[in-house]
Amino acid sequence: MNFEEIITERPTKTVYKDHGRTIKLFVENYSKSDILNEAVNQARVEETGLNVPELIEVSKIENRWALISEHIEGKTLDSLLKENPDKEDYYLNIFVDNQLSILHKRSPLLGRIKDKMKRKITNAQNIDENVKYDLLQRLEGMPVEDSVCHGDYNPSNVIIKDDGTIYTIDWSHVTQGSPVFDSARTYLLFNMDNKVELADKYLNLFLEKSGVSKREILRCVPIVAATQKTKGKEEEQEFLGKWIDVVDYE
Amino acid sequence: MDTNRELIDNVDKLKRAIDRVKNAQKEFSKYTQEQVDKIFFEAAIAANKARIPLAKMAVEETNMGVIEDKVIKNHYASEYIYNAYKNTKTCGLIEENGSYGIKKYAEPIGVIAAVIPTTNPTSTVIFKTLLALKTRNGIIISPHPRAKKSSIEAARIVLDAAVKAGAPEGIIDWIDVPSLELTNTVMRESDLILATGGPSMVKAAYSSGKPALGVGAGNTPAIIDDSADIILAVNSIIHSKTFDNGMICASEQSVIVLDGIYEKVKEEFSKRGCYFLNDEEKDKVRKTMIINGAVNAKIVGQTACKIAELSGINVPSNTKILIGEVEDTSISEEFAHEKLSPVLAMYRAENFNDAIEKAHELVNDGGHGHTSSIYINTITEKEKLKLFETKMETYRVLVNTPSSQGGIGDIYNFKLAPSLTLGCGSWGGNSVSENVGVKHLLNIKTVAERRNNMLWFRTPEKIYLKRGSIPVALQELKDVYDKKRVFIVTDSYLYKTGFTRCVTDKLNELGIEHTVFSNVESDPSLASAIEGTKIMTEFQPDCIIALGGGSPIDAAKIMWVMYEHPEVDFMDMAMRFMDIRKRVYTFPKMGEKAYFIAIPTSAGTGSEVTPFAVITDEKTGIKYPLADYELMPKMAIVDADMMANSPKGLTAASGIDALIHGLEAYASMMATDFTDGLALKAIKNIFEYLPRAYQNGGNDMEAREKMADAATMAGMAFANAFLGVCHSMAHKLGAYHHIPHGIANALLISEVLRFNSAEIPNKMGTFPQYDHPHTLRRYAEIAEYLGLGGSNDNEKLENLISKVEELKDKIEIKKTIRDYGVDEKYFLDTLDEMTENAFDDQCTGSNPRYPLLSEIKDMYLKAYYGGER
Repeated sequence: MNFEEIITERPTKTVYKDHGRTIKLFVENYSKSDILNEAVNQARVEETGLNVPELIEVSKIENRWALISEHIEGKTLDSLLKENPDKEDYYLNIFVDNQLSILHKRSPLLGRIKDKMKRKITNAQNIDENVKYDLLQRLEGMPVEDSVCHGDYNPSNVIIKDDGTIYTIDWSHVTQGSPVFDSARTYLLFNMDNKVELADKYLNLFLEKSGVSKREILRCVPIVAATQKTKGKEEEQEFLGKWIDVVDYE
Repeated sequence: MDTNRELIDNVDKLKRAIDRVKNAQKEFSKYTQEQVDKIFFEAAIAANKARIPLAKMAVEETNMGVIEDKVIKNHYASEYIYNAYKNTKTCGLIEENGSYGIKKYAEPIGVIAAVIPTTNPTSTVIFKTLLALKTRNGIIISPHPRAKKSSIEAARIVLDAAVKAGAPEGIIDWIDVPSLELTNTVMRESDLILATGGPSMVKAAYSSGKPALGVGAGNTPAIIDDSADIILAVNSIIHSKTFDNGMICASEQSVIVLDGIYEKVKEEFSKRGCYFLNDEEKDKVRKTMIINGAVNAKIVGQTACKIAELSGINVPSNTKILIGEVEDTSISEEFAHEKLSPVLAMYRAENFNDAIEKAHELVNDGGHGHTSSIYINTITEKEKLKLFETKMETYRVLVNTPSSQGGIGDIYNFKLAPSLTLGCGSWGGNSVSENVGVKHLLNIKTVAERRNNMLWFRTPEKIYLKRGSIPVALQELKDVYDKKRVFIVTDSYLYKTGFTRCVTDKLNELGIEHTVFSNVESDPSLASAIEGTKIMTEFQPDCIIALGGGSPIDAAKIMWVMYEHPEVDFMDMAMRFMDIRKRVYTFPKMGEKAYFIAIPTSAGTGSEVTPFAVITDEKTGIKYPLADYELMPKMAIVDADMMANSPKGLTAASGIDALIHGLEAYASMMATDFTDGLALKAIKNIFEYLPRAYQNGGNDMEAREKMADAATMAGMAFANAFLGVCHSMAHKLGAYHHIPHGIANALLISEVLRFNSAEIPNKMGTFPQYDHPHTLRRYAEIAEYLGLGGSNDNEKLENLISKVEELKDKIEIKKTIRDYGVDEKYFLDTLDEMTENAFDDQCTGSNPRYPLLSEIKDMYLKAYYGGER
């Protein structure tokens, strides 16, 4: 491909930068419906008015599906946090505020997060059936709400442009549901990244700003841990196994 | 075991199974109490016999808990439940009361979905299946996958015994391969859910759309007060906390010890094999025990030593409980959680209030509505205990009791119902706050037969009559009652014209001290009653004589109340009621300070024998009718000599009022044969003697006397049967347009007679005795008694109306409201308001036809314009 620059390369897709655009190019046998679904979800999020890259085109390049969208020039919060450890509180504030502004949005046609989690856990091959039963029961008791949930909200998906505006990228996991799922997932992602202190700091700040109770978010942690476990990443299995083997008190 | 039974491992099979249980239950619902009790007995015996193998199975399968303790739970679930309910009536007619016309039938609910936890996999099954059998319900067990073998075995044992004892085949069934989908299906398809498990499952149960009995989470704190028996307290807690390795939901999770005895308590715990963790060990246990705020599945129901091992710490091999001394009671402290294992938090409380605050927070964070516990000297520390009882937001408050064994009931207290499903009420998000029992698995059908309201007939204890009776009757004040001080209430006209003399002369003769209060206006005001009360209170009478028309008698009644009960609130007494027996306000007891005598000077109001008094608030102009039998005079003296020279207008107005008392009392829904007799005779005499009394005045004392008696008789009738909508309307017409009370009634009565006699009223009155609209017949009865003729009831009614109109003519009462000079515009402007007030009048309640506002308005208009409108 004759594009300017490769941003990321994954087994199923390659992301290029080219002439102010981001081109997400999928491998040849990738599910068409998944790609089109990602496109429509991104369009839905665009319609909420959030600062997100504009989807420009869905096309085929050399028989491979591609999603072409606006390229957001700027620095990710992840790199800003690394470069300015003394400004951790400042960036964490921006991070949580931005997450809450997403959670305040509504997009009624997005998929439901509880459905998605139920599907993933039910079909999981690497979770004990007894544990699965408890997890599904726990999931069943979780609240049904309709906030836009990014689904992979972590500092590498938040970009601050040079003019200071904040953009959120990578909407491939977006759903709608209770904010506790989105927050529990962010908490999990920090922890998996071995940033335990930052995870706690994040959680406390989120609780303070959102008014959600800690208990509600913690109730959700084993569920998001289980969906992460279904991805089957070897290095995560032991850690996640511990996080999901808990009981609902009786 | 039924070898043909279909294994239930998917939704279709489950739905078929539910249908089978439904059919079996239909059959079961026809069983008699005897049949059911036999089944209940045999099933309990079978479960009891299997208590040891079931306990072994449960521990082996789940790797949790203690066999010997599970034996106790199984034993308890069979024996205690049987014992508690063996004599309880659960089938068909369970209660009957012929006098009240009430029957209660116990009906089964249908198919119960029973969700079973891992912590008590066999005892909960025994408990729920036995309750279901006793109540003729079918039941489907949804076991937890971790404990399915033992749960199913328990269900099978109970089923086999039940069927052998005669229960329908398949009355109990279960899911063989549990999954959330099947659990949800059985919850959705059942008639009631008995949900025991974690909050998520209970939530799922409540959102299934079926009625659910769920339980909440427990986080029992135990306070040890410095008055407690420390040895009993500590050993009770150890006994409870180690029971089945701490898996009972009511089990203590933390101990809060008063500062003064803290070290002693600690010493006793140590002495009895509990291990106090140091700071480093506490951290290790925290991390092992709780993961992100949830209990690590690996420690549930394990021994203290096993948990220590998992945490990587060394403890003596006989350690019973791991204790972490901590300070924080919020959920960020791992030890403050429910731990489902022999791990205990221990807090030091500065004082008792601090202990309560700590317990309160622990309960509200993790066990709202469940159980709290205290060790205290119940004899010397009643106040503290009371404070604890009121402050704890739990539906079980246990005192000096191991909470595991205490909370489930009937072991340490024999009035707390035995149960393995402990309701946590609304605080815990549950529908019940008690220990669940058979009553929660029954529908109670109540059969209520129509019954008549009890009625009564009440009069003053003495009514004296005949001319010249006043001095004779008053002799009793000395001879019978030994009264010393008499307070006379009258109006200034009567006082000035010497009417009181016949009373005061007699009192002088008897040497009884007396005084007269004569400042009572017509339509007596609250102000004058208050003034009179003041003078009365200064005088301190032991007898009150009210002499006059309705106004002085009513005013005297009010003064009497305020004199005897200065503490009462007038507005409370004036509150309207639907049924005098059910009124909110209890009227004070009257007659303890003063004996009350009424002497009427006009033939009309009947106030001398009624429990009513009307008083006007002079500031607002609002009239307050008071009604209570306490207001009834003790003695009435009806002496026509007092009426000899009544002016014509008064004779007419009060006479026609008395007639309408009779007519309304007769038509009232509360009329009885007792009141009917009085009403009829009064009506007849008034028709006959009122024109004569009006025409001849004091020259016709026979007519005067007949009228005096008739007015009192009509008063006795309506004192018991009450009045109707004519008086409701007349009260307001009088108030709005200053028309004398009797005249106001006279202007309306003919409209009311027609209105009430409708055979197809818009709405009839509500009273058990009034079974269909029959007031036309009642009026016809009056016409018949008067001999008015008529070939049918309608003609009789018309004759009665003509007779009333004819009487009005004779005593020169005009035809319409307009004729009394009421301005048309003002009348129409106030009509809606007056209508609404009339509708709300106390007299409306006993009227046989329930009037619509529009109907009252219509009658007012007809009465205003007369026939030509």
